[in-house]
Amino acid sequence: MKSVNFLSQIDEIKCTGCKKCETICPSAAICMSDNKAQVDEGKCVACTKCWNICPEEAVTMLPRKEEMMVGVEPEEVNSEEIESLCAKAHLYPDQFICACTLTPAKEVAAAIIKGAKSPEEITALTGVRSGCAIYCMAPVLRLFKAHGVSLHPPDNHRWYNVSLSLWDVPEEVVQKYPNYYLREDKKELYK
Amino acid sequence: MILPAEKPSDIMPSSNCPTADMRAADLIGTVSVKTKDLFPEIKQGYLQGEGISEIREATEKALADIQMDSINQNHTVNILCSEHGFYLLGGEHYCEMLKTIKDVVQQRTGCKKIRLRVAAGMGSRESNEVIRHFRLTETFGKRVRSMNAFDKGIPIETEIGTLYGLAGAYDADWIIHAFHDEPRDLYFYRMIDRAIKAFAMSYARFETRSVYHGNFGNRSGAFIQRAIFDSPFVQKKFAFGCFLRMTPSGITGVDADSDLYRLGKDMTVDLLRDYGKILQLFSKIEECTAVLDGGRYAYYLHAGGIVFGALENAEYDAFDLSQPAALAYYDLIGKLSRGETEAMDNIMFVNPALKAVVINQAWPGIPMSDLPMFIPTIVVGEKQADMWQMDAANPSMMDLAQKAETLEEAVTLAKQLSGTDKVLIFDGSFGYINLSTSLAEELLQKAPAINQKVNEELLPLWLRQRGIDPDIAVMG
Repeated sequence: MKSVNFLSQIDEIKCTGCKKCETICPSAAICMSDNKAQVDEGKCVACTKCWNICPEEAVTMLPRKEEMMVGVEPEEVNSEEIESLCAKAHLYPDQFICACTLTPAKEVAAAIIKGAKSPEEITALTGVRSGCAIYCMAPVLRLFKAHGVSLHPPDNHRWYNVSLSLWDVPEEVVQKYPNYYLREDKKELYK
Repeated sequence: MILPAEKPSDIMPSSNCPTADMRAADLIGTVSVKTKDLFPEIKQGYLQGEGISEIREATEKALADIQMDSINQNHTVNILCSEHGFYLLGGEHYCEMLKTIKDVVQQRTGCKKIRLRVAAGMGSRESNEVIRHFRLTETFGKRVRSMNAFDKGIPIETEIGTLYGLAGAYDADWIIHAFHDEPRDLYFYRMIDRAIKAFAMSYARFETRSVYHGNFGNRSGAFIQRAIFDSPFVQKKFAFGCFLRMTPSGITGVDADSDLYRLGKDMTVDLLRDYGKILQLFSKIEECTAVLDGGRYAYYLHAGGIVFGALENAEYDAFDLSQPAALAYYDLIGKLSRGETEAMDNIMFVNPALKAVVINQAWPGIPMSDLPMFIPTIVVGEKQADMWQMDAANPSMMDLAQKAETLEEAVTLAKQLSGTDKVLIFDGSFGYINLSTSLAEELLQKAPAINQKVNEELLPLWLRQRGIDPDIAVMG
């Protein structure tokens, strides 16, 4: 579970409607209305990416009046299903896949099994990708792929569907580049 | 020799962090040791304010033999650079190298559409601050632009599948890779292909960076940069690389080549030899408090040319490729793989020699909540605490960390909680290390044996693991 204590607030006078915040928002909490950015408070996980990207400095991070908790309890889903999905993705259920929120693979797996259909939903439900996003995105996409979910990247460039992992590297490439420890790391990361 | 504390390099003001009231070097009792007094064989370089005109000359000399005939006056050229270079010893050397590259290419080819692309990790604020602070528009006019990991991407077909680079990096006929060889987060790429790492990081979309960190291992991740760099798409545009060369003792010059693997091999030998010694020395520290005091992400603040992240992971030998993991994160997964679940319960994500951390000034944005989970972590000042409180990359930091009003108060508290008076300051230093007298004495006492061990035992091992013959590389 992740506690969300802040909230993005848009200064409508400064906002020029450039859509940069809408594009970068990992939980799709921002959409445009009358050419101004609007924040869905229930979806905002306070990642601050809109604050960072806004060229007009129109975004302020404000403390929430009440703390919002996000998270999916793996216990709400059949444990065998979680183990099976994680195994297909070559992830251990207890392995955390988000270095910021320390969310384990089993929580994201539970969210997918419960019906999450997009990375945006995963972020809104679990808080994954609300931090740096540099570690967690690819393992999330791996879990979607392993569950057979057909993903449709948005028209903007919020995310691209890249789930490439060690287990996708062709054997001839593994053999061609022994100095990169592709075979050894595969064993090290999942047996 | 133990000397008075050195004045650290300047910090670029940033909206990412309030400026501290006091630098750690000004703490009573702080002293310094010069890296040349620890390891005399390490080549001395320029420090802040030194050798700017020499860097221009070195860049011109390095580029003199580079083939530029393929670039014509109607082409577009992107000089790709990274935020990290602007924080090395005040950034003016890196800046001078970039300006000189533009001048030389323009003079040799007649091309005027030479752009500068400044890559930063988390958003556009950082790189825009760099562009303003270093007045890059004075040289590049409107042809300077920031790039970040969330910018529009471009698909790159590689030997292992489609990966995404930043469209802004590749929207030219030619690209010039203008970087620096300071090793920074060596615990991630394990000093495999340093010269091309930026192709999987600085110039790549966040999904690609996540593939590197999350979908590959602690050694095999380095293959991502090779896959991208070797792709026909990148090779068609790649003109040459130009690198600011550094040792832990400063900036030593500039090197350029159109063959990045050759350049990378030369760099690897130097980096393993020089930084390997400081790294080994830090790994032998028995106990200390680290004080973070700089204008960068906390993990990337330097002491003697080595970043704080390397001290945090110093119980692993990151250069020894027979070790599968140089980070607790990968170590933990390896333990799961081997069924060592009991060991997992005891795993500590922090070098056990690190007894406390004081954050005087450092940027948030990179996950480091593990610090206060395991060791006393003290944040200086209310404004700094508010900043960490808001940091989405460290949501539990301020639930666990303590606050102090002043740096003196924080260090006193850290000494009480840690039980050690040894202090190591990460304030952006190359050429020297600011620290406590007790730790200075320990480092000076241990350095000679480490010098010998690296030269005779570890360096040959590290080189052989990277396919480099130590007899040829070291003995010439």
